Amino acid sequence: MSSSLSCARLTAVTVAAVVIQITGLALFVFGFFPVKPTLSGVSGVESFHPPWDAADDGFISPSFSADELKSLYQDLSDVPAQFDRLILMVIDGLPAEFVLGKNGQPPPQEFVEAMPYTQSLMWTGEAIGYHAVASPPTVTMPRLKALVSGAIGGFLDVAFNFNTQAFLDDNILGQLLRVGFKMLMFGDETWLKLFPESFARCDGVSSFYVKDTVQVDLNVSRHLDEELYKEDWDAMILHYLGLDHIGHIGGRNSDLMIPKLREMDQIIKTIHLSTQEFEVNDHKRTLMLVVSDHGMTYSGNHGGSSFEETDTLALFVGPKSSGTRYGSATSSINQVDIPPTLALLFGVPIPKNNVGIVIADVLKSLSGGQQLRALELNSWQLLRLLQAQLPGLSCGNSLCVEYSDYQATQTGKSSVDADAVFCSSYCKAHLLHRSWKSKKVTWSATSEDFTVTQLAYYEFIRTASDWLSHKASDKCAVCLTFGVAAMLVSCLIVFHLLFKLCRHITFGATRCQGEKIHWHLDDYFSLAVILALVASMGSSSMVEEEQYIWHFFTSSMSLVLLRSAAQQLPANTFTEHSSIIFRQFSSIILLLVFGRILRGWHQGGVNWTYLPDISKWLEQAGDSYIHNIQLASGFLAISLSISALFLLRKRRKFVLLIGLIYIASALLVMSHLIEHTANKLAATGYGATLMAQIIYTIISISTAGIVLLVPWLMPIQISGSYSTASNSKLHEKPPKCSLLGLRDSIYITGWAYISFWCLLQLVLQQAINSFPMLLVFMQILASLLYYSTSKSRHKPWVEIATLYYLGMTGHFSLGNSNTLATIDVAGAFIGISEHSTLLSGTLMFMITYASPFTVLFSLVMYISVKNGSLDLDGAQSASNENVLMEMLCFPCLVPLGLNSVVLTAYTIVLLAMRNHLFIWSVFSPKYLYVCATTICIYLGIFIVAATTVYIYSVINFRTKKLSRSQ
Amino acid sequence: MEKAPPNYPSAVNLISISDLCLSHSLCVSGLAAAFWAARSIYYIDLISDPFRTLRHFFVIQAPIVILVFSRFRRDPEQCSYLKAMIRGVLGTFAGALVNALVAIALGAPVGLNYLPKTVYWSLLISSLTFVPAACVFGASWKDWRRLFAHTKPVDLVDYMICVPAHGAIVGSWFGAWPMPLDWERPWQEWPICVSYGTMVGYVAGMLLSFGLTVVKSEKQHLKKD
Repeated sequence: MSSSLSCARLTAVTVAAVVIQITGLALFVFGFFPVKPTLSGVSGVESFHPPWDAADDGFISPSFSADELKSLYQDLSDVPAQFDRLILMVIDGLPAEFVLGKNGQPPPQEFVEAMPYTQSLMWTGEAIGYHAVASPPTVTMPRLKALVSGAIGGFLDVAFNFNTQAFLDDNILGQLLRVGFKMLMFGDETWLKLFPESFARCDGVSSFYVKDTVQVDLNVSRHLDEELYKEDWDAMILHYLGLDHIGHIGGRNSDLMIPKLREMDQIIKTIHLSTQEFEVNDHKRTLMLVVSDHGMTYSGNHGGSSFEETDTLALFVGPKSSGTRYGSATSSINQVDIPPTLALLFGVPIPKNNVGIVIADVLKSLSGGQQLRALELNSWQLLRLLQAQLPGLSCGNSLCVEYSDYQATQTGKSSVDADAVFCSSYCKAHLLHRSWKSKKVTWSATSEDFTVTQLAYYEFIRTASDWLSHKASDKCAVCLTFGVAAMLVSCLIVFHLLFKLCRHITFGATRCQGEKIHWHLDDYFSLAVILALVASMGSSSMVEEEQYIWHFFTSSMSLVLLRSAAQQLPANTFTEHSSIIFRQFSSIILLLVFGRILRGWHQGGVNWTYLPDISKWLEQAGDSYIHNIQLASGFLAISLSISALFLLRKRRKFVLLIGLIYIASALLVMSHLIEHTANKLAATGYGATLMAQIIYTIISISTAGIVLLVPWLMPIQISGSYSTASNSKLHEKPPKCSLLGLRDSIYITGWAYISFWCLLQLVLQQAINSFPMLLVFMQILASLLYYSTSKSRHKPWVEIATLYYLGMTGHFSLGNSNTLATIDVAGAFIGISEHSTLLSGTLMFMITYASPFTVLFSLVMYISVKNGSLDLDGAQSASNENVLMEMLCFPCLVPLGLNSVVLTAYTIVLLAMRNHLFIWSVFSPKYLYVCATTICIYLGIFIVAATTVYIYSVINFRTKKLSRSQ
Repeated sequence: MEKAPPNYPSAVNLISISDLCLSHSLCVSGLAAAFWAARSIYYIDLISDPFRTLRHFFVIQAPIVILVFSRFRRDPEQCSYLKAMIRGVLGTFAGALVNALVAIALGAPVGLNYLPKTVYWSLLISSLTFVPAACVFGASWKDWRRLFAHTKPVDLVDYMICVPAHGAIVGSWFGAWPMPLDWERPWQEWPICVSYGTMVGYVAGMLLSFGLTVVKSEKQHLKKD
């Protein structure tokens, strides 16, 4: 059995598992969050020229005034602006069914009666209504972005723009602003976040108070009476939230719904009457566009991709249509078709990243030539976007000439690649358009030639638009499958290794030879923790409140350990053994007490953040208290570290030297804390930055120095008590002593890691977090104390799993949560003098994962306290390689295994929840955290393994040299 | 009973099956009576008034448990019925302290407004877990360790103490699970769902222990024959 598990093989398989896992993760992330190549910049004059006409690229200059630009657009476009003013009325959450009906049927009678004016507009042909299909996620902000830019965004776009919300991509509002439109906005303040400083007058209402269904809309409507009769604006945006709020409270069939629809109808009536009056007086034509950003399910929620949620309204009031009532309502459009249509109606370039199709019916009032020109402009814009994704695509004029010959020879081959399909369909439309133009006599929109050309254009535009929008929202199924499969495989490999090791180690050791592996409560429970965690991750509220699960299970784990310690407590007489048990009891009780304080420190999560906790209480009490607590915890942490170092009694002088180095850096940190965190002004000054940089340097140099030099300097030949106390034979002495030296070196190295790490965290963490950091440190020391005395009561993987759980509990206790909002951004700039994304990112990572890293570093110490006695007893049989393997296998494989379970399970959860309402707000941010934890674990176990192997090989080398010289 | 420890007085093993049956049903019916009384006499339940309801449960259940289990005291020669009852009363408060501390360690809120509820919940669970063992064993650590650290009940009384107590503890532990969910139900407050868990677990444990008792005593009978 032991032959099948050599050290080299174990390492190779583990590394292979990690590599497979990384590959799987990368594939999955790539497939799940496709990065859509967007074109930067805005469409300008060049959009009126064909994409292969590179000559005009340098022509656009920013020096045009708004009016010049407007007239230039007019000259170039050949499609005259149809309207002068725009009123965009957004009714949040209104399903198109309410106005247009479903499947060609009119809407239910009560809805028709609720909106008499709107219905009459459609009867008389003054308004054209569409079912506009929105793409998920059907929540307001991404939908508004799609409504103005015509592009479909991805998740990473949502996730990474959570702070910088201003919308910088090319969009129709920006285009209108550029030709001198003066804009007003009343309603949802999301618009103000997306387009700061774009509006001349505005009044933002918050969508936060969902219970408010009346006032939120009155705050918008109260501006109408005044603004509608002013003449100084060109575009007005009204965003009504009330209907969405009603949906959230009572669903589609809420009693409040009909009155709200009536209110909306009244507003449409007011606006429409005023625009008509305006048109007569000033001859300015006004387009009123009534849209909804998303629909709602029957229970009133939205976010997913069902028909009820994606079915939104687009009602154009202004363009005269000859269509019958609901005639156009059966032919649905996409939500992204609105921006290109608006652009052409107002004579501005189509936004660059638009994937929408211009709506033919709305442009009916144009002449035939103008309609075809509009289609041509839309085609050119899409071609530019296609070229960005298919660099090989080039359908120049010359190619199109060849195309006619090409088509003559090769008729109807379907199996050609995307490039050729786009090219051929574009060229067909282009040639038809040219031949139509040459026959000037029949310039009418009714001739057969016109219809054929129009159809050809639409064929191209539709293919291109479909391809582009699928490219943006389609998940790469192959990537996802392989990604998940790879993660599953690596998870299985790690567990297979762990299982083998369990059997190997248990049978190999002398303590339970030939005995069947007996499972205790602690074994079952530590497995149950990870299973319960995985099970809880399917529920969004459990993901939001994950800290409760961790605390509950970690404390329960401690209680289980307490129970197993109680089993050892002897019945009546108090012997020496019982004092050890007493020590174990007290360390577990310390674990529990510290854990409880940690939980009370920050009221984390999402739903109960308002409840009182210790940190809020201290913040109320005043900064001086926090500062004093910070200093006290710094002092305690330092003295604890030193006493932990002096537990190593054998090597007085050596320990003293290291202790002095530590105290020097500790004093520096303390003086920094005293000076620079007392008042907030000094914390950002030059002196503080310099001091922090000095501290970083000293801490890294001391840690690296201790780690590198300790195995060389550690005395491995011990005279005196130890070698005489053991009754071993002479030839066995060198390996034994070296083992002792190895153990002590590892202890000092592990100690250096966690002590210096704690010092660093004292500098980096917020003042309020220094005490929880101390508690995490003490918890880890307490559990190490417990493990060092509990000998072989627990299986090693149980002990390491418990440490891992402690680390994750500490992670949440330091105020972290599964939303991106709790990341401490301010701390990431401590000691950084100029802006550097890499450095700040590293610091942010170190602050966020302070607790898991402490646990991973403590594993080095764990190796030493755990294996010291075991190795000394079993050294006779163990070959050198086995010692190393026995030391390293569990500390590396258990965190890796636990994390791979979480990672794999959560990946599957994410995949299963891809249509969930909270996929973008809850599940995807959590996935980012899971990925970051995975990186943290990789780094941690790499450091543990590298350190141990280094120390082991140095000591081994020195022992061999020593035995040769003797 | 292969491993029956020889040092137990024979009187303990001679408890009749009807006696055990009566004890089981008394304990369960105590809880049921408390439920009924709270509902139909005082018009309170755990959700509307957890503090008074828990106090009510405790006041009814604790005396029943003490009276029932003091009869099974392990050392009837040295320990009178009255002394066993006093042991039980002391055990109630000691156990309440331990249970309250464990609950707080597992995350029970510590605010002053929660204190009375925590006190009465811990008194209640103490009367279901600690009191029977205190009445029967007193301060004999060996027996406590056997039942609660090793969970190795031997005779019929052991089963009757150990199984419902573990039921109550495990029930409370599972009862805490729905607390962090955002369902916004009134019963998610501490200690309502935990108390439900306690009582459900206790009753389930009682039923299980009764079943085990019946099976065990039949085996005993077969052996004697």
